[in-house]
Amino acid sequence: MKEKISIILFVIVLGSISSGLLVGINSWTKPKVIKNKELKLKSSILDVFGIKYEKDTIESVFSQNIETFEKNGTVFYRTKTNEIAFKYSGSGLWGPISGVIALNPDLDTIKGIKILHQEETPGLGGRIAEQEFLSQFKNKKITPKLVIVVKEKAKQENEVDGITGATMTCKSFEELLNKDIKEHLECLKK
Amino acid sequence: MNTHPLLIFIAAIFPHNIALTYILGMCPLIAISKNLKTAFGMGISVIFVVTLTAVINWFVYNLILLPTNSQIISYVIFIITIAASVQLVEMLLERFFPPLQVAFGIFLPLITVNCIVLAVSLFMVLREYDFIKTVCFASGSAIGWAITIVTVSAIKEKLLLIADIPKGLKGPAITMIILGILSLAFMGFGGMVKIR
Amino acid sequence: MFKKIKKLTYTRPFRIIINGLWKDNPIFCMVLGICSSLAITNRVENAIAMGLGVTFVTVATSVIISAMRNFIPSRVRMITYMVVISTFVICVDQFLKAFFPTISEAMGPYVGLIITNCIVMGRAEGFAMKNPVVYSFLDALSCGIGYTYTLLIISIIREILAFGTILRYRVMPQTWTNWVALAMAPGAFVLLALYLWIMRTLAKVEPEK
Repeated sequence: MKEKISIILFVIVLGSISSGLLVGINSWTKPKVIKNKELKLKSSILDVFGIKYEKDTIESVFSQNIETFEKNGTVFYRTKTNEIAFKYSGSGLWGPISGVIALNPDLDTIKGIKILHQEETPGLGGRIAEQEFLSQFKNKKITPKLVIVVKEKAKQENEVDGITGATMTCKSFEELLNKDIKEHLECLKK
Repeated sequence: MNTHPLLIFIAAIFPHNIALTYILGMCPLIAISKNLKTAFGMGISVIFVVTLTAVINWFVYNLILLPTNSQIISYVIFIITIAASVQLVEMLLERFFPPLQVAFGIFLPLITVNCIVLAVSLFMVLREYDFIKTVCFASGSAIGWAITIVTVSAIKEKLLLIADIPKGLKGPAITMIILGILSLAFMGFGGMVKIR
Repeated sequence: MFKKIKKLTYTRPFRIIINGLWKDNPIFCMVLGICSSLAITNRVENAIAMGLGVTFVTVATSVIISAMRNFIPSRVRMITYMVVISTFVICVDQFLKAFFPTISEAMGPYVGLIITNCIVMGRAEGFAMKNPVVYSFLDALSCGIGYTYTLLIISIIREILAFGTILRYRVMPQTWTNWVALAMAPGAFVLLALYLWIMRTLAKVEPEK
């Protein structure tokens, strides 16, 4: 009996110490984590617009060059030369994919694209986040729709090359991009 | 596009095999792959425990941790759930199915420290799966892992009979080479998942 | 007699360190903690973060367990390790998220998987439970460092061959064709097998029967 009580006491003390420590850590790091997310979004937006920045000047470069506005409940980012960027998101083969895409002022070709978050298999679908794949999107037409070609080389001006071994990821990425671009453009033109 | 649960199930077994592309669950793969029979037993136990714990953890996460906004302690909770359910399974087997307990009993405590049990729970949270997808993903991953350990141990049994392996390469190192070749082979499954 | 005892206490810490770094190196002798050592070593920065994370968790867990070793009821031993380990792992995870967000993203769930890294459990159960704090500290530290340098070696080879860079600085000529297979699982397996072969031959590890 005595042994049982001491075991229970031990577990309770252990549990409370560990959760106390964790609550402390959480309250210390939370603001930093939120700040990091914001900085990552801002630096990605600068990246897709092709604006140069240093690590410690993200905030100031962002506020000088980019205007954030909301239309019909959706957030857009605009540069002085009237290029538009917005966030896209959807589900890939495995998990959510989200990122930022920028369009040229004609709203018909892509200025740049970046992935913020993805859960695809490293080395296969995970390669969609690599610069090599994403830089192909530059100056591609988004009408009638963007196509990621898997079987052959991309020829048309709305086609990009897919990744070998990651057909499903490419297909879902293509689908979520087209859907989000269409929705955002409709929102913008309303 | 919303991925079909069946697709997740098949993808988790073959092209995105948890052992061969995510490199998880290596310790038992190396330690218990000497004998085909024990490897098979381990594989079956893992399929059962992984599916069970993923389901429990899904409920714990979505019904308790998310509403109370305490995702930060999810690691602690997950690992305790896993340890507790393994213990429970062991006790139930002992009480009701003694022959099964004799066959699988030795594997159960080892499963607690098998990374794929925790990994499946963590992936499920990161990928925001709903219940059906969680079941498909967990059972698929576990079956994939079981296939891997059975294949490796079968190859190893044959290899040890005939091959003259250099001294330093014996044991874990040759297992890694087998795994490397298997992993290359499984990359060939990359194109097979096309069901919509 | 006195001299003998002095000599013994003098050499024990030294022996513990040598064991962790070489004779009982967690990776190539005991073959523990393989999952993480393969999955995240395609970039040197990830390997450094992982190595330091594991070292920190091992040291902290060993010290705590060793300090409490007389109070821990043996029936709840395992669960105690689990709680202590996962508490420290969450600390590491939060720390990386707050200060090194890119590394945290690259490692994803593998940070959480430090919990099931057998090295941490192995040191707690095999050493810290039976030995005083100072020795446990030394043992955990040397094991952690032994683990870290192995990760570093593997990741340096992989990053050079697979991306042509070290810590993202280009070291190979621009014409270098990236060996993409080495960044993926098959390359990792074969490379670790070669590493085990070389190190086990050098350290004269006897293969188990």
